[in-house]
Amino acid sequence: MEYVSPEGLRLDGRRPMEMRQIRAEIGAVAKADGSAVFEMGNTKVIAAVYGPREVQNRSQQMNDKALVRCEYSMANFSTGDRMRKPKGDRRSTEISLVIRQTMEACILTHLMPRSQIDIFVQVLQADGGTRSACINAATLALADAGIPLRDLVTSCSSGYLNSTPLLDLNYVEDSAGGPDVTVGFLPKLDKVTLLQMDSKLPIDIFENVMQLAIEGCKAVANYIREILLENTKQLEYRRGL
Amino acid sequence: MVGLSLGEKHFIQGGIAQDLRSDGRKRLTYRPICVETGFIPQANGSARVRMGATNVISSVKAELGKPSSLQPDKGKVTIYVDCSPTAEPMFEGRGGDELSMELSVALQRCLLGGKSGAGAGIDLSSLIVVEGKICWDLYIDCLVISSDGNLLDALGAAIKAALSNTGIPRVNVAVGASGDQQPEVDISDEEFLQFDTSNIPVIVTLTKAGRHYIVDATSEEESQMNSAVSISVNRKGHICGLTKRGGAGLDPSIILDMISVAKHVSDQLINKLDSEIAAAEADEDES
Amino acid sequence: MAGKPGTNPTTYSPSMATGKTRTPIFKDHDVDWVRPDGRGFHQCRPAFFRTGAVNSASGSAYAEFGNTKVIVSVFGPRESKKAMMYSDIGRLNCNVSYTTFATPVRGQGSDYKEFSSMLHKALEGAIILETFPKTTVDVFALVLESGGSDLHVVISCASLALADAGILMYDLVASVSLSSLGKNLVIDPVLEEESYQDGSLTITCMPSRYEVTQLSITGEWSTPKINEGMQLCLDACSKLAKIMRSCLKEATSTSQE
Repeated sequence: MEYVSPEGLRLDGRRPMEMRQIRAEIGAVAKADGSAVFEMGNTKVIAAVYGPREVQNRSQQMNDKALVRCEYSMANFSTGDRMRKPKGDRRSTEISLVIRQTMEACILTHLMPRSQIDIFVQVLQADGGTRSACINAATLALADAGIPLRDLVTSCSSGYLNSTPLLDLNYVEDSAGGPDVTVGFLPKLDKVTLLQMDSKLPIDIFENVMQLAIEGCKAVANYIREILLENTKQLEYRRGL
Repeated sequence: MVGLSLGEKHFIQGGIAQDLRSDGRKRLTYRPICVETGFIPQANGSARVRMGATNVISSVKAELGKPSSLQPDKGKVTIYVDCSPTAEPMFEGRGGDELSMELSVALQRCLLGGKSGAGAGIDLSSLIVVEGKICWDLYIDCLVISSDGNLLDALGAAIKAALSNTGIPRVNVAVGASGDQQPEVDISDEEFLQFDTSNIPVIVTLTKAGRHYIVDATSEEESQMNSAVSISVNRKGHICGLTKRGGAGLDPSIILDMISVAKHVSDQLINKLDSEIAAAEADEDES
Repeated sequence: MAGKPGTNPTTYSPSMATGKTRTPIFKDHDVDWVRPDGRGFHQCRPAFFRTGAVNSASGSAYAEFGNTKVIVSVFGPRESKKAMMYSDIGRLNCNVSYTTFATPVRGQGSDYKEFSSMLHKALEGAIILETFPKTTVDVFALVLESGGSDLHVVISCASLALADAGILMYDLVASVSLSSLGKNLVIDPVLEEESYQDGSLTITCMPSRYEVTQLSITGEWSTPKINEGMQLCLDACSKLAKIMRSCLKEATSTSQE
């Protein structure tokens, strides 16, 4: 199948280095300490953060740092065909773990010993790149909850199809079975915290593809920063300052 | 769930007794309802409904299936509710299953009528394509994103909105198929059929706190309830379903009184919801 | 777990003497069919109750309404699980399960999953939970054979089992359901009638206190019809409670002998 036309256009009309439209909104769940909706094209996820709060299960309590927990769930209307069992499959367990580890690396957990932070991400619509969208939404929600972070970790995926590096794969490109690199990135510290790849790639091409994903992460980071700034300005305005 | 101090409890109870609740509402006033249709573009129909801090999504997916042998002239509708842990950390893992099940059953009871399909809000015979062979299976999936009380009413409203937003593709059945053969069908991707949603009831939950009933209780108010009754009422003023949701016993005459109050309230709610849905649809068409 | 099928009385005959006939409230002028078991529209199936069906439980009861056979055992009050938070009132834990052979098609009875929570709601209003803080009472119901109106039999039987276990209650809980078929109201429907019903109404009440603890209605009903249905059910509930009461009395008098 042809994923990039001779004119250099992808299936959904994007250029190879073009991202889908991203949109974010802070504060979708009123009861949570922090929450955010993050959309990348048709992929739509919602994240809610509860905590830092008392550890529910005493045996998990850590005396030197906070316990970070994460649960990823997909709504059963999120995919094209209706999902019958939305919870607890291996894929969501794996993604929960990935998100947890990524977020744990950027939260200053040592500032909140003997406490617990819960991150819940819910996929409303899946169209490729849910992993990245979830991490971005979780970052926003953590920032909204006022949890001390090293940096705003952002994530983006890229792939390599028809000898072209492609940024931000959608579902069709994702299921093509080609290489798919997901990067989690701390833009200020210029460090990679998450790197996952399926399939295989020569090392020199891999570098290019990864660099592309990193560029994507930087673009997301800029956007997230803007959204957070906007949100803070609004809060300030509401306070009447 | 909700931890309230004694003072707060008295404040809420006192407010209800004086017909001035903590958020300034009267006993029988709903919070503003905000409807957004077409929230999930991948579904046949969808809607998001917000009532204060309660936020639910409902989506409708239609699949072709086979009608059950008991009722060959009717399609099938399944309602499934999922409580996302984003709404309440308690719902993590399997924690939300109990509430999900309770809400699904209550919605099914309120919207789908009796076993024979009579009195259903959705005309099940309109879902049939070829009698006894092909019908539409409607899967109504709801997701609770954020919860601040009165989930059932919000879910009922979301389902109503999602169904008015639903377009079912027209199906052309190939002629010539006869006998036991499964006829071939051709699903049109241009022509869509709309549902008649005027008969879909709304659900009114009356929460009894002290001697009075309130509608659209927040979760703080729900924690103060003695008992609650959810009543679904359609436009004709007929009762389409009723569930009492736990709590202490009630005198039968009080239940009858609650039914008449619910009928009165439902009238306003139906009108308000219809105008909200119409506005949301118009909004969606523009964008 | 709920009573092993082996522990229920193997030989007994449902005593028709305890069966009741209700005087029809309306003249049956609109009869246009006969019920499968030959009853009148406003006539319940003969009810049979017996306490003490499971020896290892603190209290248990067996109920038989026509073909519907139910066994309920009550355990406790016993210490709540450690994971549970402190509570100054007791907890009630209900579970309803079906034997695989309960339904006409083996292992097929999918709509009973909500029964556990409905049983819980029907009972919680009647039990004086304040009398056993920090503890849990477990109610396990097993439907041996499903012959229609299972839930209301389970609820009535469970309240009897609770009474047998010596759990304090405000009153016995009796439950009766009713189907609306066309323009007729049919009390205590059997499986066949249930599958054709246009609507149903189930009332659970405490007859001596005249309080309704659980009410559920499906299908489209007009207010006068609801009134009529509720009256019928409440009336039947109070009669059912009398039978339950006599069963309890019988049990205590035989044990004294």
